Amino acid sequence: MVWVTDGIKMKNKLHFRFGLRTKLLLLSSFLFAIPWFGYQYVWEMEKYLRFGQEQTIIGTARALATSLHERPNLFNNQASFLPNVEKGKDLYGYQLSQAINLDGQSNDWPNFQEKSHYYGVENQLSAQLTVENLSNHFSAAVGKYDKYLYFFIQVVDDTVIYRDKNARAINKNDHLELAFNDINGNFQRFILSNQHQGWLSAYRINSIESNEILKFPAVISFIQGQWLETEQGYNIEFRIPLTKISDRLAFAIHDVDTPISAATSIIGSADPSTAETLGTILVPSPEIERIVKGMSYTQSRIWVVDQHHRVLAKSGDIKKASGLWQKNISKSDNSDSWYAWTQRHLQPVFQYLLNKPQNDFIDRLYDTQNLTGEHIEAALSGTPKSQWRLTTDKQAVIISAAYPIYIGDNVNGAVIVEETTNGIRSVRNKALEKLFTSILAIMLLGVLAFFFFASRISNRIRQLRNQAEVAIDEHGRINNDIAQSMQSSKANDEIGDLSRSFSTAVNRLSQYNHYLENMSSRLSHELRTPIAIVRTSLENLSLQALPDKSSAYIDRAQSGINRLNNILTNMSEATRLEQMLNQTDKVSFNIFDVLNGCIQGYQQIYPSFDIEYVVSDEKVILAGSPEHIAQLLDKVITNAVEFSQDTKLFVTAELKNKTFTIHISNNGILLPETMEQRLFDSMVSMREIPQTKEDKTPHLGLGLYIARLICEFHQGKIVASNHHNPQGVTISISLPLP
Amino acid sequence: MLKRIAIVEDEAAIRENYADVLRTQGYQVQTFANRESACEAFALSLPHLVILDIGLEQEYDGGFTLCQWLRNISTTLPIIFLTARDNDVDTVSGLRIGADDYLTKDISLPHLSARIAALFSRQEALKQPTPESSLLTLGPLTIDNQRMSIVWQAQNVDLTITEFWMVFALAKHPGHVKNRQQLMKDSNIYVDDSTITSHVKRIRKKFNQIDKDFNCIETVYGMGYRWNQDEK
Repeated sequence: MVWVTDGIKMKNKLHFRFGLRTKLLLLSSFLFAIPWFGYQYVWEMEKYLRFGQEQTIIGTARALATSLHERPNLFNNQASFLPNVEKGKDLYGYQLSQAINLDGQSNDWPNFQEKSHYYGVENQLSAQLTVENLSNHFSAAVGKYDKYLYFFIQVVDDTVIYRDKNARAINKNDHLELAFNDINGNFQRFILSNQHQGWLSAYRINSIESNEILKFPAVISFIQGQWLETEQGYNIEFRIPLTKISDRLAFAIHDVDTPISAATSIIGSADPSTAETLGTILVPSPEIERIVKGMSYTQSRIWVVDQHHRVLAKSGDIKKASGLWQKNISKSDNSDSWYAWTQRHLQPVFQYLLNKPQNDFIDRLYDTQNLTGEHIEAALSGTPKSQWRLTTDKQAVIISAAYPIYIGDNVNGAVIVEETTNGIRSVRNKALEKLFTSILAIMLLGVLAFFFFASRISNRIRQLRNQAEVAIDEHGRINNDIAQSMQSSKANDEIGDLSRSFSTAVNRLSQYNHYLENMSSRLSHELRTPIAIVRTSLENLSLQALPDKSSAYIDRAQSGINRLNNILTNMSEATRLEQMLNQTDKVSFNIFDVLNGCIQGYQQIYPSFDIEYVVSDEKVILAGSPEHIAQLLDKVITNAVEFSQDTKLFVTAELKNKTFTIHISNNGILLPETMEQRLFDSMVSMREIPQTKEDKTPHLGLGLYIARLICEFHQGKIVASNHHNPQGVTISISLPLP
Repeated sequence: MLKRIAIVEDEAAIRENYADVLRTQGYQVQTFANRESACEAFALSLPHLVILDIGLEQEYDGGFTLCQWLRNISTTLPIIFLTARDNDVDTVSGLRIGADDYLTKDISLPHLSARIAALFSRQEALKQPTPESSLLTLGPLTIDNQRMSIVWQAQNVDLTITEFWMVFALAKHPGHVKNRQQLMKDSNIYVDDSTITSHVKRIRKKFNQIDKDFNCIETVYGMGYRWNQDEK
């Protein structure tokens, strides 16, 4: 018994236990390794895809380069064969993104300040004036739009001299000299000379047929433009159809400071006076562009550069060049499936965790006149190379591959193909989202299943433990209902087995207990016959005439046998009472009648005792057997009297919460703490005080056990507790009202 | 006339002890160890009184069987059960099949002979008219001390000797409380308190069969019992 209570105490002390459920939950946390593996796998996939993309764009570059190999005519008129290029002299016609309004304003030129080239002291063609003397300098930009080559020249001049109204000469004022080779390689010279600001007047000053300079300038109309006077000087904006020019060009500003005089300074890109001194003009090649356009369906950005890093052709938009996958990843949000629903709800989480590829990243601006990069250098020196780089705002990764274009044994240019990895990232993100969603579902289900399983197991074990605890109550009695319910466990597993075998053990214990409980009754029954033999024999003997001596022995033997008989009667009393209670019908009675009567009786039986009790005429109706209640009071009062050290008893009654409670207190020795509950068990006695008078009644510890039996018959409880000041014991009998 | 008493008891020592006592008191005693020999002898001639044990050798309920058999032959033959079985069930069934008394073996010999004597004198009294002196009348209750019979509301209440003595002890002094010890003394038994309680219950039940409203035997809790009767 003791170890059981100790066990319970220990259990109560350990508030936190590493129970089965916790253990299983901990084990199930290994499930979290699955998403980690999935994540790693997706990363590996991405690496592989990136490698694939790299190979693809190198392939694209190679394919394009292959189509451009050994086609010198594509490069011929592109001045690509020059050993080197000189800025300002070798011009580059930027691809303009919008139409130019020929109004003399630079605002429709994108980035005019950056793209224009400054011409000053160093670009003087005639007299070498010093910076101080030079009153004239300009910036010029060249651009290509549609079929025209556009020029914008912003001249700073202190005095603007227009051609005199009546002047025949067109070169005695501020004017622009322009010279280029036409498609057929013929040298052409023009002068743009105005009488006032406004529409340009252009004159050819040599004949097309011969190289002779025309005596009289011929007005031509294909050079169109505007002369606009500004605060610093004037702007000249004009265009030439691309069909008229080839790859060599030069222009120069002649500055005249006094009317009708020769130019004081001539500043130009190159000397336009002879065909030999012309500079070059590079216009993004429409022919290469055509070939490149064919490639543009690859959705990559493609550049073709010459060996001077100048862009010959360009196609595609990097913001749309996200690789091949973009098209395939069409969102399937329209489906109402569970998956879509989860996706929608998890979207914010994913957006936070995964960096979505953005198409509005900002990349650095290219100087199309001079594309740079390690891979280009490498390609121009003959080695194909690819390169990964971040955009300037670090929002996207761009992969670019360069492949050399050969003409003969020389590298004449390179093809550069660029793509972002946005496609792969989208694919990766999609995969991760899918993975996470499924894994979340799997884990959720898994953890739930684990939790359910663990709860079930631990609940069953806990239930079994509780049953095992309740199966034998604090009095050591076996609760048969519980034992039955354990037996009925149908679970065909280890816990079920445990439950059943425990039940078997309890049943055996119950049988043994039953044997013990009936022991005294059976013993008394078995002893009764031999005692009857002895007693009848003694009685017979006493009826005969005996010597005086022996009658004393007979008396002693008879008193002994009477005591033995008493003991036997007492021993079977509890059993008889139990049998009797089983057959007793409950009747309604007023408990105060019983209590009042009994106390009155005790006051007569124990005249030396002062029993304090207030007689009450209340009516509290209980259902039960009043005779047995009286018997119960007898037993308790007898005990209280025997253990009293003064001669006072206190009996009080109260009705609370539909329970009638009788307290019987005495002043005397306390109960040992462990005895408080066991006091009411069968065969438990704690009489240690030496009996002063000869005590004929045997003490088998059955009195309070009988009290308990009667209480239990009335569904009541009997409790003993110590009280102090003065010391003593209170026995409380609580009986529920019907 | 010499009364003949038959003792059916399988325990030889007890049987002989009882027989010796009864013989010294002037009875003629026949002893039987089992039901068969007893039946054989009873078939020839019936004794005046039979003392039966319930368990007879191999027969667990041999005494009961014998009692029923005897009751079939004679309705007036006094039968006393003297047994070690002290539980309520056996007591009730023993009395139900017609025994005049049910005693446990811890009864002392003087108590036993008092009962035997009482039974014989009751038989004697039945044969003679009752003298007025032995009649006690209390309203609807009439006690014939000689015949040991009790009449309630002009109907005979069938009581055992023990029960009769108890009712007599209570009714002799109506309004006086008799505690259990006194009742035991008056009814020549020594038993425990709960047996007295069940005796009283049985008595009440017997009166209740005649009169549903019978409530003359009052329990005075903590003290004992009292005959309560309004003098009408």
